[in-house]
Amino acid sequence: MLSDKSKEEIKRVLNKYPNKRSAAMDALRIAQNETGCLSGDVMQEVAGILGMPAPQVNEVAAFYTMYNKKPVGKYHIQVCTNVSCSLLGAEHIVEFLSRKLGIKKGETTPDKKVTLSVVECLGSCGTAPMMQINDDYYEDLTDEKIEEILSKLP
Amino acid sequence: MADEEDEVETVFIMATVKINGKEITVEDGTLILDAARQAGFEIPTFCYQARLSGLGSCRMCLVEIAGQKKLQPSCVTPVLHGMDVFTENETVKSARASMLEFLLANHPLDCPTCDKGGECELQNFVFKSGPRQSGFSEWKRRFHDKDKILSPVIVKNHNRCIHCERCVRICDEVVGAKALGGIGRGVMIQSTGFMDDRLDCDHCGNCIEVCPVGSFMSLPYRYKARPWDLKEVDTVCPYCATGCQITIGIRNGEVVRVKSRINTGINKETLCARGRFGYHFIQSRDRITKPMVKKDGKLAECSWDEALSVIKQMFGSGRRTAGIASARYTNEELFVFQKLVREVFKTNNIDLDSRFANKWVTSAMIDACSLAAGGIPIFDALKADLIFIIGSAVSDENPVTDYLIRTAASDRRKTLIIAHPRRMKLDSSSAISLRYKPGTEGEVIKGIADFIENGGESTSDINAAAARFKNASNITMFLGAEILRLANGVDVLTGIAALKALLKRSGKNIKCLPLFDRCNQRGARAMGIHPLFLPGLKKVKEDGMDCGEMLDAAKKGEIDSLYVLGEDIVSMHPDARFAREALSNIKFKVVQDTFLTETAKIADVILPGASYAEKDGTFTNQEGRVQRLRKVISPVGDSKDDLDILCSIGGFAYKSAREVFEKIKKEVAGYKDISFEELDGNGAIVTGHGRQSLSLKGTVPLLSGSDNSGQQSIKEDKEYPFLLITGNHLFHSGRLSQRADILMQLLPEPFVEISEDDARESGIVDGEKVVVKGNGYEAAMKLRIAKGSQKGVAFVPENFDSVSVNMFYKKGEGIPRVKIVKLP
Repeated sequence: MLSDKSKEEIKRVLNKYPNKRSAAMDALRIAQNETGCLSGDVMQEVAGILGMPAPQVNEVAAFYTMYNKKPVGKYHIQVCTNVSCSLLGAEHIVEFLSRKLGIKKGETTPDKKVTLSVVECLGSCGTAPMMQINDDYYEDLTDEKIEEILSKLP
Repeated sequence: MADEEDEVETVFIMATVKINGKEITVEDGTLILDAARQAGFEIPTFCYQARLSGLGSCRMCLVEIAGQKKLQPSCVTPVLHGMDVFTENETVKSARASMLEFLLANHPLDCPTCDKGGECELQNFVFKSGPRQSGFSEWKRRFHDKDKILSPVIVKNHNRCIHCERCVRICDEVVGAKALGGIGRGVMIQSTGFMDDRLDCDHCGNCIEVCPVGSFMSLPYRYKARPWDLKEVDTVCPYCATGCQITIGIRNGEVVRVKSRINTGINKETLCARGRFGYHFIQSRDRITKPMVKKDGKLAECSWDEALSVIKQMFGSGRRTAGIASARYTNEELFVFQKLVREVFKTNNIDLDSRFANKWVTSAMIDACSLAAGGIPIFDALKADLIFIIGSAVSDENPVTDYLIRTAASDRRKTLIIAHPRRMKLDSSSAISLRYKPGTEGEVIKGIADFIENGGESTSDINAAAARFKNASNITMFLGAEILRLANGVDVLTGIAALKALLKRSGKNIKCLPLFDRCNQRGARAMGIHPLFLPGLKKVKEDGMDCGEMLDAAKKGEIDSLYVLGEDIVSMHPDARFAREALSNIKFKVVQDTFLTETAKIADVILPGASYAEKDGTFTNQEGRVQRLRKVISPVGDSKDDLDILCSIGGFAYKSAREVFEKIKKEVAGYKDISFEELDGNGAIVTGHGRQSLSLKGTVPLLSGSDNSGQQSIKEDKEYPFLLITGNHLFHSGRLSQRADILMQLLPEPFVEISEDDARESGIVDGEKVVVKGNGYEAAMKLRIAKGSQKGVAFVPENFDSVSVNMFYKKGEGIPRVKIVKLP
């Protein structure tokens, strides 16, 4: 069950949209901020609030990589592997992170600290290759930079 | 045609285009695809379906348009005057082959183990225009090794999906269940239910029907047959009166599937769960296959000769006798049945269906819907700008009619108004859903009429609805069979007739169609299964008794013998105790049926008849469309074609349904132009029976004893706070469907449905077990909550032997009262 605070916030953002359906992405974002990932129950609840069929909320959530369908660790590393990043070595970065963390893409470390994901374009092609950890961007990545970033994760 | 005035002629702007050099003039805005088909060129498609919104995703229909560099998808591109289109040149053919190559890049090609093999659209197109080799050497996408069972009827293989999204669109736009979505992205999309989990949907199987490949498959039909092993016969669905065309497939004498055909029948390619999966009763083990005669108080099997001779003895002339028939029989059988009752038993005591109040209300229905004035094709009726439904939970009672209305109402220029106590699926398409307490239908109608006549503030829902009536120029009303159950049904129907007259006076076109829940309810009336009417709805000289009067007479010992054709009076008559008691007073009862019903159990002779798959004949659906029933298999065991049975008892010489139909054409004016042999997938609409109105005015007693206000006195009752309505469930129809295994899996037991407010007040949660009590009867069942239903109303489906809902009724009472208590 979503908290009253999240429900209030969803009701507030509804005002921004011409109809309830249009608020699906915003509502899912708010829900995910609270719950960490979008389980079936959470999507059902969002669907109920928006008056949408649940499969359609599921469609939206499944389309975007920003919505977590599985629980993620404390730090969620999302590496962009779209065109610009790939040309500048994104595959190597994924492989490097994977080796460093001891997990494959899509997995979470056993201590639930870090999750490694591969995502589509994050709109930072000018500073490729890049990754996002939780809400922050880390750009112009190199192996050394990544090691430093990882070592600084509290 | 009934009630029809001259409609405004629409002027179309035309466009002339060249398709492969052939000039054709079509209405402006026609899709290139349709124009090409009209010109005689077939363009292959996957994602295109005429009744669904355009998607243009499969790219199979790409065509070349002179002057345009890129090929265009013809299924979403309208013609422009002067366009020069090529659908079969080398560029187009090569594009088509490439698109197929792309589809095959991920399609598993497991055709030898796929149910669709042999009737697969992908297989056919690849065979016809596909590449023989592929340039792709990569791994194919693979979601799972084992197919996923999504419901008792649907099994899904994601690997085979080609992303045409027909399933998602038909579920959303036509069925309205909105149970499917395209989950995922890009090539990894899975068209499936919420979380790819078990589907809790309408189980109609239309996703299976529209799937061009073997991605959605029918679980009951799984691995049962190959399409080329099947013998397929086109016939008509035996459940509700929508009259869907179905195709029954049999293999080695076993019925293995029911499907619908594209562009055939009013249902086109859709069916409901009952129609598609409700066929297992045909070859059920419980069928009665031998005649039985009561000897020493016990029913014992006997020979046909013995059974028939006993009947002939007992129905001799001079006896006080009566006949009741079910509306599931063909026109031909019913015609012969009324001949038997009227000419051999020499009585007008004949009625259809034991559920409804009386002959006056059924006559008033015939009148209100102008059944005597001929049929109205539903698609004509749905052209109206206002569609009004009252007295039917249409989504449950007539699911495919629900699809048709939904599709029509998706046109924003149309208004749909639904008046019913229960929430229903179709509400999502309605502009206004009027809720009322059952029994107050008359007030709803009167409220609408008052507002139209006198005006007022459009604050209430009824007034808002009335305002829409005022603004509309073409109005279609659908009247449900529930009105027939009401104690004040005549008043309600009189009110509707008055409303129709009022609207007509203000210059509107009105069409009125019945919504019946039995396949041949309309045909039966035309065949003279009514105590007041002969075939062709001609008035009898001496009124017969209706079912209620027969039972009254029986109670007094004034009926000696009764012939029951397929009707289960004990289970269906609204007062089970009274019906059983009255029937036990009749010395000799014959029941002709396919199953040992509660009524058959107390019969003196039982004759095993045939199911709809075992006979020829015609049904007339609620529109007045006559459609052909075709024999698929021989009657099981020693059972016989019902027509043969009736003819041998009556001594009639008819050899076939066709011969009877010829006789019907002579006696029933509306059928005279219909050719039995030429009835195809579209059937034929009956014409008028030669009179517009039955003019029963003055002769109909007002049963409620009130004035004409149409109000049934509904007293508050604290002890029994709920008004009970009963009817069919989406998965069930009468008592027949409980013999169909798959339907019983979909809904194995009855439930009681109440509104959310009532549930909250009584502190009962969804799914909790409760006891429904009333009229000295009680039954335990699960509770279901319907958000948006009328407060103070409970619904229980009438389809189960395990709960005899008619025990809640007292004779003559349209709407019984019940209470609902939690199980301790």
